[in-house]
Amino acid sequence: MKFLFKDKLTSMASTLLILFIFLAIFGPLVAPYPKEGRGKANVDNSFIGPGWKHLLGTDELGRDLLSRIIFGARPALLIALAVVGFAAVIGTLLGLIAGYRGGWIDSLIMRVSELFLSFPPLLLSLVAVTFLGPGLVNALIALIISWWPWYARLIRVEASIVKSKPYVEISAAMGVPDRVIILRHILRNVTTPLIVQIAADLGTVILAAGSLAFIGLGAQPPAADWGLMVAQGRNLIFDQWWISTFSGMAIFLAVLAFNILGDALRDHFDPRISRQ
Amino acid sequence: MKTLVRPFICSEGGKPMSLKSRFSSPKIRLIAITTSALLAIAGFTVPNAAQAASVFKVATSAAVTTWDPIQSFSTEAFYMTNIYEPLLWKNPDGVSPEYAPALATSWSASKDGKTWTFKLRAGATFHDGSPVTSAAVKASFESSKKVGGAGFIWDALKTVDTPSDDTVVLNLSYAAPMDLIASSTYGAYIVNPKALDAVAKDAKYFESGKDGGSGPYTISSYKAGSSVVLTAYSKHWAASKPAYSTIDISIVSDGITAQQMMTSGQVDWATNIPLTSMTSFKRNNKYSVIKYKSPFNYVGYFNTLRAPLNNPKVRQALSMALNYREITAVGGQGYATQSRGPVPAGIYPYDAAIPQYQMARTKAKALLASAGVKDLTIKITYASENSAEARFVPLIKDAFEAIGVKAEVQGILFNQQWAAAKKDPANAQDLFIVKYWPTYSDAGVDNLWSLFHSSAKPFFNLSYWKNTTYDKLVDDAIELSGSDKAAAQKLYSQAMMILYNEAPGLYLYDEAQVSVVPKKFDIPKYNINYPFSAFFAGVKLSS
Amino acid sequence: MKILRNRLSSALLVLLGASFITFTLARVIPSDPALAYIGPKATAAEAAKLRITLGLDQPIPVQYFKYLIETFQGNWGYSLSTKQPILQEIADRLPATLELIFFAISFAVIFGVALGVYAAKYRGKFQDSLIRIFAIIGVSMPAFWLGLLLQMLFAGRLTWFPATGQFDIELKYDHPITRVTGFPLFDSIITGNYHATFNGLHHMILPALTLSAYSFGLLSRMARANLLEVLSQDYVKVARAYGLSERLIFFKLALRNALPPIVTVTGLSAAYLITGTFFVEQVYNWPGIGSFAVNSLLSIDYPAIMGITLVAAIGYLVTNFIVDLIQSKLDPRVWMK
Repeated sequence: MKFLFKDKLTSMASTLLILFIFLAIFGPLVAPYPKEGRGKANVDNSFIGPGWKHLLGTDELGRDLLSRIIFGARPALLIALAVVGFAAVIGTLLGLIAGYRGGWIDSLIMRVSELFLSFPPLLLSLVAVTFLGPGLVNALIALIISWWPWYARLIRVEASIVKSKPYVEISAAMGVPDRVIILRHILRNVTTPLIVQIAADLGTVILAAGSLAFIGLGAQPPAADWGLMVAQGRNLIFDQWWISTFSGMAIFLAVLAFNILGDALRDHFDPRISRQ
Repeated sequence: MKTLVRPFICSEGGKPMSLKSRFSSPKIRLIAITTSALLAIAGFTVPNAAQAASVFKVATSAAVTTWDPIQSFSTEAFYMTNIYEPLLWKNPDGVSPEYAPALATSWSASKDGKTWTFKLRAGATFHDGSPVTSAAVKASFESSKKVGGAGFIWDALKTVDTPSDDTVVLNLSYAAPMDLIASSTYGAYIVNPKALDAVAKDAKYFESGKDGGSGPYTISSYKAGSSVVLTAYSKHWAASKPAYSTIDISIVSDGITAQQMMTSGQVDWATNIPLTSMTSFKRNNKYSVIKYKSPFNYVGYFNTLRAPLNNPKVRQALSMALNYREITAVGGQGYATQSRGPVPAGIYPYDAAIPQYQMARTKAKALLASAGVKDLTIKITYASENSAEARFVPLIKDAFEAIGVKAEVQGILFNQQWAAAKKDPANAQDLFIVKYWPTYSDAGVDNLWSLFHSSAKPFFNLSYWKNTTYDKLVDDAIELSGSDKAAAQKLYSQAMMILYNEAPGLYLYDEAQVSVVPKKFDIPKYNINYPFSAFFAGVKLSS
Repeated sequence: MKILRNRLSSALLVLLGASFITFTLARVIPSDPALAYIGPKATAAEAAKLRITLGLDQPIPVQYFKYLIETFQGNWGYSLSTKQPILQEIADRLPATLELIFFAISFAVIFGVALGVYAAKYRGKFQDSLIRIFAIIGVSMPAFWLGLLLQMLFAGRLTWFPATGQFDIELKYDHPITRVTGFPLFDSIITGNYHATFNGLHHMILPALTLSAYSFGLLSRMARANLLEVLSQDYVKVARAYGLSERLIFFKLALRNALPPIVTVTGLSAAYLITGTFFVEQVYNWPGIGSFAVNSLLSIDYPAIMGITLVAAIGYLVTNFIVDLIQSKLDPRVWMK
């Protein structure tokens, strides 16, 4: 774990990440104005600029921006975990089936995942969420649809390599079912690239979810969603600049932390391979 | 610039290099060229102002849903009133006489109000040069009544006679104020019969930017979603020619973008400045911020087909949950007042005696309990392109949650919101938030009828409410409006009381129209009868 | 030739697949195409009639087949929101986006690679850290946020650049650009309309910078990483042992070997740029495909969305093809894949 603090940059990222997770869990207890963070309006306080009472100012409904941003940490993290989690699970499952079975199932699954991968990233999510309708759950589904192919491909490649390895045959001769062997060996081989990819994907998903919300196809008001808050502040950027600025900064810092962490993980597990 | 160049100056080993060898590096040269180019571009700003003098540049959010003057029923009204003309215009409030002649120079009604005669203007022509005749008027009105977007305004019209080229006679099935109706912002334009024939053959005839109008401007170019350029029609009948021969209109969906285009000088005037910017504009002495009365108001429809919203007690409870003061403040930013029913203040048949709901959350909770409601979730939809709705709808959600009702909010483009509401009423939204305005200055025939009169297919009654007493009151009032306004008002007031008691909708607030006008220009006053329009022929430089 | 045929056929499969996915999503997921087509004022009977006219009552594979044939013939349908032919809309808007992408990619490649190489050269030193920080900031920045920030700062407060639009509106009247190729900036250069060129570049800077941030970061990191890996290879050590100058090793040996993957990554970035334009064009009101796409998505304009998906997929394929072409020049083994 020490590598997470190996230099200033990585230390900063790790600290940010710890802060992010802390806020996701304990945010409601730490926020200076928890009711407002949750969404309660305080109309008489609208559009107060950053200052002592409200460190980051207030929004159009008078809600303390810092509290709103803190409350936004939990959904952001949950979305990231949900999308990456489901995508990894679905992708892994499909990749295992494809690699283990081989034959036409393999071809089908691989063709389909290549197809999905040939869509410019995010476009598929945008199209899917358009037809599903705006909302957080639909955005989640749309993002999972875009993210699973990479995991499927990774697992499938490993599965088909491992399947033909001699130790599989040997273990099978010794009575161990080959599914167990394959699973064990696959997992051993894919752990590193999987972890690195998950770390990077967590950041990318936060970015993607924020982008969907910014356009209006993601979380709906009055959710404390960072992307949504940037969009809400857009009509106000010249005078009440703090709303979009700080909400966007939250997204930026979260993604930055995950990206730096991903780098650190990659360097740690295989310093020679600087690029996947 | 020094900071940009410095990293390249050190050689390996950290020894400083001579000036000459610094610039011999290709990288340095590239940087130097790029930065000087950037500087050159940044400095090269303003094109020749003198040549562009007769072009008036505007930024607006008014999208063109259709260029068909008969079908038109939306924001394209912004442009239409410059390209097309009705028989007469209704003047702004407080201006006398009430009407200004346009394509008709005089008009009169028979004693029983069922026959109206209009005398057409000599010398008025369509943009292709052909004269505006009574045949054109007949064709336009009949087409509008049959298929028009606002065809309902011709409900009283039975037949149109054209005894001569310059005389039109309207025969009605009941007395109705034809002067008011023929001045409507939708459905009353006189269209070139050749264009009407063309569009009958090809429904998309107008959409590329063709027009069949007679107005002071004609469409010279149209880029969908991007820009509309109008050029003055040289043979227009008006005595004075417009000061600007070209009106260049950029269609910009975000108010803030339009605002920035105006303040940076890209355009001369922006018409959809966000209300939240008004405070800073008031401090800016290059602009005047003018508040006008408008026919706009915000209404919410409850889906009365869905239990438990079919129970008036539940609707009343929900009406009592709202903090109207906050909603009005947040939505209107100081330019709104709470509504009394769905008729905006100052528009006939507004009645100041109609009560308003006020926030009374304890009472609301009690009402809900007495109606046996627990675990209610309300799905609220609003138009995502409307920034006021985006601001205040969360407050509605808050209000409902304060009385124990959960709410889901969905912001979608208005066209989608409307389509979803009409598709399957039983499964549509529970609360539909909309900004409304009457087609012409009669909110009895429009707001009260359109919004809450029952009909087989939902037109605008997106509460799907059916109340036969209400229907009869409004129908009778409409018939009386032409002849006995006082009696009609009495019936309307009774109808509005039903709306209060039954609460098929939420009556949120009436919004003023706020225009930001650069002091440099003299722009015609806002006309409440054409709430979505700008009249460019009257724009000139301030003296 | 065979390889070319293979490439084309797999490209075609990709296009078919992309369009099929979009088509299915559009038809299968709850929303009514007919109602969207005729607008909310229609009655149920009219909608039913239209459904038959549009062929929406046919099974999905039949509808898809019909769609394919029409698309192939050049009939991409009409946009539900703008009522214009979609192919026309796309053709009108493509040049603006392509010019924006061109500048963004150029900036990203030139500065990204240059700075990445520089960082590799000064590995471990202050310059390296600084550049690496910039690079990772570039890939982490939400494009829409960066756009808003730049707009707010450089256009709003400092007024150094215009906040929106492709050209000053007055340009249409004072120095109109004669249309030659349809690419406005390019046309302005070849017709000598330098007023327009400078004005266009002035408007282009903020959006191009915004769009390039991600690719810049990506390329910078890639360049640095590749170069470092190449520099640690044995043949470099051998060359050094032979006494070749650092400069020669660096520029002639290492760079040449490190660059090919850069080309691939540039191609990948192009894909990010395609969806990146959606956000950048929206923030800067750029009249290109991106803003048209956002509008179509929000209006659930089915035909337009299909058209845009097709164009995006084609663009992606073309970019990859060009990238492979360049790669093959640098490394003939690529063709064997």
